[in-house]
Amino acid sequence: MDGGRTRLAGWPNIAVLMRYWLKGRITRAALLWLVFGEGFAILFIAFGSQTFLAFSSKFGVTGGFSNFALSLLLAFLLIGLLQSGFSGSGLPITSADVDYVFTSPVRPRDIFVAKVLITSLATILFSFPPMMFLYIRLAVFYGAPVAAAVPAGLATLLFLVLGLVLSADVTLSLSSSLGPRLKVLRNVLIFSVAVISILPVILLIPGTPPALDVITQILPSGLTADISISLVNGSQWTAGLILDAILLIAWFAAALALGFRMSRGHFYEVLQVVAGPGDSGAMSGGRVAPLLETSGKSVWEIVRRKEVVVMRRTKERRGLLISSIFLSAFMVIYSLAGSFQSSPTSFLFILFLIGSFGSGSAGGWLEKERLWIMKTTSIDLRKYVREVYRARITPLLLILTPVTAAVGVPLVLGRLGQSGPLLGVVLALPSALEVAAIMMGGGIYFASRYGQSATDDILTTQAQQLTDVKRFLYQTIVNLALVSPVMGLVLLAAQPDPVVPVPLFVYGAILLLASLGYTYMVLKRLLDGAGDWIMRREDL
Amino acid sequence: MGGISIDKLTKTYGNLVALDKVSLRVDAGEVVGLIGPNGAGKSTLMKIVVGILRPTNGTVTVSGHDVVKEPEAAKELIGYLPENPSLYTALTVSEFLKFVGKIRGVGDGELDVKISESLNTFTLVDKADSLVGSLSKGMKQKVALIAATLHDPEVLILDEPLTALDPKTQVFVNRWIISQGKIGRTVLLSTHNLEIVQDYASRIVIIDKGTVVATGGLETLRKLADAKGDARLDEVFLKLTEEI
Repeated sequence: MDGGRTRLAGWPNIAVLMRYWLKGRITRAALLWLVFGEGFAILFIAFGSQTFLAFSSKFGVTGGFSNFALSLLLAFLLIGLLQSGFSGSGLPITSADVDYVFTSPVRPRDIFVAKVLITSLATILFSFPPMMFLYIRLAVFYGAPVAAAVPAGLATLLFLVLGLVLSADVTLSLSSSLGPRLKVLRNVLIFSVAVISILPVILLIPGTPPALDVITQILPSGLTADISISLVNGSQWTAGLILDAILLIAWFAAALALGFRMSRGHFYEVLQVVAGPGDSGAMSGGRVAPLLETSGKSVWEIVRRKEVVVMRRTKERRGLLISSIFLSAFMVIYSLAGSFQSSPTSFLFILFLIGSFGSGSAGGWLEKERLWIMKTTSIDLRKYVREVYRARITPLLLILTPVTAAVGVPLVLGRLGQSGPLLGVVLALPSALEVAAIMMGGGIYFASRYGQSATDDILTTQAQQLTDVKRFLYQTIVNLALVSPVMGLVLLAAQPDPVVPVPLFVYGAILLLASLGYTYMVLKRLLDGAGDWIMRREDL
Repeated sequence: MGGISIDKLTKTYGNLVALDKVSLRVDAGEVVGLIGPNGAGKSTLMKIVVGILRPTNGTVTVSGHDVVKEPEAAKELIGYLPENPSLYTALTVSEFLKFVGKIRGVGDGELDVKISESLNTFTLVDKADSLVGSLSKGMKQKVALIAATLHDPEVLILDEPLTALDPKTQVFVNRWIISQGKIGRTVLLSTHNLEIVQDYASRIVIIDKGTVVATGGLETLRKLADAKGDARLDEVFLKLTEEI
């Protein structure tokens, strides 16, 4: 008996789902996020475009003025998206979707399409204004009509959505339930996306074969850059540009088709349930090898070990490792390209990027923590937070140290004999790690102060979203303020003449000690503060 | 074994009064059932006793230790099961229990024996190496109950321990709670299952809108409610909370 109800299928279903998800998404907090996010993105574009324009002038690898630079920027964006794919981020869904949408008679494929479309729409909403800002700026720079920025922006948006689809493909391909045939496809896919993402960056290395340049131009980033830059450069739609557009659409179609092919039967694996308050989440799998041995170990060793085990089993470590591999590749390529030698400022900027690498993961710590257990024991919460921090910072530093060394050693060798610049570079290397340590400490502090715990039953979802906005803003501003003295000491060290008239070695040691002392003090304050907030907050 | 003493306990959230001058005593070795409508203040009361919430006014002592002034001493004596216990889903059952035991200060040898015995009692031996996140709700509840007793607490605070459990697990947990009273543990139990309270609690406390409405054995409550001599607890409860 269907009681006269009509069963929708295909696009009507997809439209209903999108409307339902849109209504749930457009909240005051979401709009605030959008405005702040757009603001940050525009600021970043303003800064980044200046750098890229200068950069592409220096490395005129391709014929177009900033064609290569944009291709590089897009490659970076693609890598960022793919990292989330490798981390298993997938497409976010709520547990309400699981309970009410997945149990409805809607075809799974319709849900998948609706989810891809809604995520793409969010990307478009978020990306279009900054993209337009970039292209309008370039159009003005080249003296082209401002209207040319629109198709240029659309081409780039298509590229971003392609990145999202590829990210979903990667997550899907990494799922364990693939058959042997699909596993071959998976390996081909992973190899392809690695080539697609990293190839444009390799061109930075002087002396790369010209053939690579040609290949780069038919990759999605190269095609998008060619279309967008040509248009804002004042070019008309030539046959070459039309061919580029067709090829870009073909790439998109291929990625989408691949996703559909792999999603057949088990597409749910690409969707990731966002745990709500009190939702401890379900995990698949039966017995696993025990990793937490407690005999003969102190309480604090167990706390650290527990944190490592949780990071390992929740794939956090895999995400960190994949991201660090990408980061290392960039750093080595940049180093080989000689860009750091030519610009100490960019070197400092890159070191800051290395340093800020781990701050994001600290925020997620609280969601995996079960603080009601700790709060009902007599354990010292300040010490507990310090030990958790220790467990989390150790693998990060182990990963960042070789990256920093890969960047720094050639620079140090190249500056032997130049006392000022050499001291600046030498001090910058530990400073990158200090910045990482402070940023992670800040992440833990702000998570403790504003984060949502698994047992939060006081704040509503919307109130929590607003709190997240506040946390993001405070964390960004305060973290920047906290690391600025460390960066300032590096700049001070790079000055040709020491501020204090002492031998260079002593001067360097003083600056290093000052920097380490400052980092220690800041970390102590941040972590003690985090412990105090956990104790004080009643909603955890 | 210790008892719980609550004196003029008040908890407010802005203008909302969650608990209003609640006074209550649970003697050592007593099993006391705390019942009341949703939002009456039961969980708030329990969270203050275990140290998660701070009282706005009033005092709570566990075996003579003030939970605000001597939180560490009080917490060492308490085992707590929250209404919705969220556990570390990425740890195995055995790892989780070892972790909790260690932070509760249980020695290595004693901890291994205790975990082994408890897994046997709760029929979870074959789940020792399974991830907590892969367990059913009932199994997770059992793991949380084991975790609450690893350190041999004098006082057990159990907030809705039977919620969403299947009948078989409910019977098991009921029996386990009764056994805890028999071995001399002080148990403060919040539940909507009036049968277990009527049959096994030595005393019943009815709480409504943040205040204690009535306290005593079933006979006392019948008299307070002006109910018949054979009235069941649910009838008495409804009369006292004015819901009929």
